[in-house]
Amino acid sequence: MLKLISPVPVFCSAAIFAAALPAFANQYTIFVGNLAFIYIILTLGLNLLLGYTGLLAFVNAALFGIGAYATAIARTKFGIPYGFALPLGGLAALAVGVVVALPALRLTGLYLALASISFAQFAVWVFAHWDPVTGGPTGIRMAAVAYGFSGSWETVHYYVSLAICIASVVVTSNILRSRVGRSFVAIRESEVAAEGLAIDLTRTKTTAYGLSALYAGIAGGLFAPILTLVVPESYDLFQVIVQFAMVVVGGLGSIAGAIFGAVGLIGVQEALRATKELQEIAFGGMILLTVLFLPSGLAGLLRKYLPEWREPLRRRGDDR
Amino acid sequence: MTDAPAKLEIRGLGVRFGGLVALDDVTLSIGRAEIRGVIGPNGAGKTTLLNAVTGVSRPTSGDILLDGRTISGLKSSEIAARGMRRTFQTSQLFRGMTVLENVMTGLHANMRTSIFDAAFSSARVRREEREAAEKAWAALEFVGMTRFADRDGGELSFGQQRIIEIARALVSEPQVILLDEPAVGLSLNRVIELEDLLRKIRAERGVTVIMIEHVIRVVMNVCDRVTVMASGRKIAEGTADEVTSDRNVIEAYLGSGFDADGQKS
Repeated sequence: MLKLISPVPVFCSAAIFAAALPAFANQYTIFVGNLAFIYIILTLGLNLLLGYTGLLAFVNAALFGIGAYATAIARTKFGIPYGFALPLGGLAALAVGVVVALPALRLTGLYLALASISFAQFAVWVFAHWDPVTGGPTGIRMAAVAYGFSGSWETVHYYVSLAICIASVVVTSNILRSRVGRSFVAIRESEVAAEGLAIDLTRTKTTAYGLSALYAGIAGGLFAPILTLVVPESYDLFQVIVQFAMVVVGGLGSIAGAIFGAVGLIGVQEALRATKELQEIAFGGMILLTVLFLPSGLAGLLRKYLPEWREPLRRRGDDR
Repeated sequence: MTDAPAKLEIRGLGVRFGGLVALDDVTLSIGRAEIRGVIGPNGAGKTTLLNAVTGVSRPTSGDILLDGRTISGLKSSEIAARGMRRTFQTSQLFRGMTVLENVMTGLHANMRTSIFDAAFSSARVRREEREAAEKAWAALEFVGMTRFADRDGGELSFGQQRIIEIARALVSEPQVILLDEPAVGLSLNRVIELEDLLRKIRAERGVTVIMIEHVIRVVMNVCDRVTVMASGRKIAEGTADEVTSDRNVIEAYLGSGFDADGQKS
């Protein structure tokens, strides 16, 4: 019986539930569900940097924005169909992510955190001021995606996001089960020891940055149409904090944690939608409480009460 | 051993940190399947020597040759890829990975899986993973640690971690391994096991071992030759018996406060 409470059956049940949801949910629930899938993709991507590779980089909010802008620009300015514009958004973020990674390779810890937050702020400034391309502060208006199915496009988009979200979970898990995942964790634990095992730091870190950027960019491409408007403030410092809070509250270095963090915090965000100030306080407060009382996040509870729960490359035993 | 070509050749190696001379004109020649002990008082430059050889710190002068090819100036990961592995004074087993995965990480450079293969977990990747797991298991068997294969790397005692680190170093079948104080902090029984393991490594694997060690009984029992360092220089070299009766060495290192087992009394 206990075997049923292990990652694959639990994850499959959750996916089936998510797939059945539109049958009995209203438009708003579908919107929130879609948002949750997008944030799961984002959190998985950020977790690869923060949780697995141990790089305190906060570039993903900006890369999320670049994915959204690139998708919107491809559609509205070049008339590229969404099916191609979405992967283009991912690739644009990947390209920028790798370029940004090059100077970041030499930085670790707080210096990396500061430099990457500066980049995030710079990106928002570009979104807001590069009027001919980004539309400046008013942003880019994006028409609904014509999927060519009957029924509302939002529901179809929900399924597209769900499919990509499931693919992200599977791909992340596959990567963590390979030598690539092990090289990420080796670098997190000790760069000197990793190099001593013939792991190339530059190459491995660039891979981690690039992969994380691709997740962020695709999430951005999925996010662009659901608000119908791509504007700079969607990708500002608050976005950095939201994603960081999801990774920390869910638990660093855990796939299940990333899912819990994203779904849970989207719930909190929606509950407090009326007041953005309260959202900011709630997210800050949750980061603080988690760091103080539950350093390994919700995934830590899972580990404590369900020791049979196995995930690739997840820390067992006591917290530090 | 003298007529065979040297596996590892260190010529006039110097390392300076600013004005501090950490290593001064050190020359060593170590043969294939030799266990070379490196001893000396604290601050003698032993770990600096290991760091320079493995590319962790850059030599400021001299040359290092592995099989007659220079490796000085290469990145640490490149030197490792040429068949050199090390362990650390403070254990560096990775947490968040099982012991088996830790040892599999030692095979990183022997595996081909790219990020694309990994993402889709192709049949080839799964086969490579299975083979790596088998090799890692065999390495754990070699050091007698298979019972910990499924434990988290961070959960074990330092003594256990250090032995598993040796398995992680050996799994890729390196030509040279460098051990930084493998016996420190081990109980006597564990020290005896370590000595057996070192002999087995020499006999069955043909690996060249360079070992910094403070526990003199290990040096006396397993090292073919011993290099003694003090203040960044080599002050003596020979068999364990030769160096321990060398007047310079006794003065510099064993001079006072050591009993016959090399333990501080």
